[in-house]
Amino acid sequence: MMNVITNNNIKSTVALAALQNVTDPEIGLNIVDLGLIYQLDFDESQKKIYCTMTLTTQFCPMGESIANAVKENLKLSFPEYEVELDLTFDPPWRHEMISEEGREFLNER
Amino acid sequence: MFSTTGNTETIKTTSWKVVLPFYGYAAVAFLIATIFLLLSASDITSHYFLPHSLAITHIMALGWGTMMIMGASHQLVPVLIEGKLYSNKLAYTSFILSAIGIPLLVYGFYVFDMGLLTQCGGILIILAIITYLINLAVSMVKSKHENVHAFFIFTAAIWLLTTTIVGLLLLYNFTNSLMAKSSLDYLPIHAHIGIVGWFLLLVMGVGSRLIPMFLISKYNNTRQLWWIYGLINGGLLSFVYIFLYTDSKSLLSIPLLAVAAAIVVFGDFCFKAYQQRIRKKVDEQMKVSLLSVLMMLLPVIFLVIITILLILSQKEAVNLIITYGFIIFFGWITAIILGMTFKTLPFIVWNKVYHHLAGKGKTPNPKDLFSNKIFKWMCIFYVLGFVLFSAGILFHVTIVLQLAAVLLVLTSLLYNWNVIKLLMHKPVSL
Repeated sequence: MMNVITNNNIKSTVALAALQNVTDPEIGLNIVDLGLIYQLDFDESQKKIYCTMTLTTQFCPMGESIANAVKENLKLSFPEYEVELDLTFDPPWRHEMISEEGREFLNER
Repeated sequence: MFSTTGNTETIKTTSWKVVLPFYGYAAVAFLIATIFLLLSASDITSHYFLPHSLAITHIMALGWGTMMIMGASHQLVPVLIEGKLYSNKLAYTSFILSAIGIPLLVYGFYVFDMGLLTQCGGILIILAIITYLINLAVSMVKSKHENVHAFFIFTAAIWLLTTTIVGLLLLYNFTNSLMAKSSLDYLPIHAHIGIVGWFLLLVMGVGSRLIPMFLISKYNNTRQLWWIYGLINGGLLSFVYIFLYTDSKSLLSIPLLAVAAAIVVFGDFCFKAYQQRIRKKVDEQMKVSLLSVLMMLLPVIFLVIITILLILSQKEAVNLIITYGFIIFFGWITAIILGMTFKTLPFIVWNKVYHHLAGKGKTPNPKDLFSNKIFKWMCIFYVLGFVLFSAGILFHVTIVLQLAAVLLVLTSLLYNWNVIKLLMHKPVSL
């Protein structure tokens, strides 16, 4: 799994496990191993999750669906939290961001 | 750490409502073209400037190739230029104008009446392309991201506009004698601006982005792409100059070599992208698309032979010219569309049907929305039909031409079957 910046290691582990259910439909690989999730922060006072992520390309036709799936999966695991999704292309996604597990998966396919 | 925008605007893609009409229209045009090919199979080898051949060529070039590319580009331009499509209304207008203009033009060719109705068809098509070009230009200006792919697409669209304007002038020349020579004499300019300037430049511009993207390849070489851009445009401009202002046939080898070199460089780009791919398994749709890159070399080989024969004997080798035209429109242009349709359309349909269900439950994968078995049979019929029809033209064998045309009709039927299956897809939960 890729190193994701977080302020709460325990909760981010749960969140990342939930986000492994979201796959890029073209590649068939989950977005965590694909390296699309950059940062997951939990604001306990406001009960908010701040998720910073990217896409493999800007204006990806599946981008909106992937973003919605991220929100839905986080809400499912943390129903008491509000999810704020921030999409960034700085830095842009690169192949090096794919995890070892992801590379193994793609080598097998 | 990250430059965040606080919004998700950059994920709003072009609406499926804009794109799907183009795909549907192109699929029907392909079916009609193959049926016309079957009906004309016995007399297609007599000359390349025949009413039925002109009609088939223009259904393939405009109804099939151009409609498909314009439709797909409305979806893909945002990915390529990293900016939103400027206007859905302009895209609809472009569709309506060309959807009316193409049948008028094709009907005129089929009955060989170059009168007002056919000319109206031509004008409507030009207006459609101007609308498309404005939409592209404003989208690019607003995106503020300059990249090599955007230059390919925009230049290709300018060549398309030039092709259609020259085409309309040739139409008027039939009835009004506008030019010094007959329309037939100017046909190579019209044809090659369209084939090289529009189709080849655009396919290379889009392909150089999509092929590495779908293969998840590490390879990227912008310098190589600028070389291709220069060779294609330089070759085409030199061709127009040599054709119009010199009588030398041997000078035609200059543009020929430039375009051949561009194809070789593009082939090298695709091969390196394939070699450096992270995703090892290549699906059937990508295999067909990569095959079409190899097929780009076939017309070049034919053109070399045609040019050598023209220089040596000063006579046109008619069967070679007909084969040359066939292997362009039914060869690499068709092959790349057959492959890329099923790499793009399933995602557009998936977004239409399952977008609101994302993350709320299991949904089918986009690639499961069409039948891969039908796709494989379509490919088999296509390759057989293509090879046999090319051989039939070269060796003037009518029965082979008819058999091959049947195989190509079957190809288009299976293609339409899968496209209809996709367009009519209703949501299913897993």
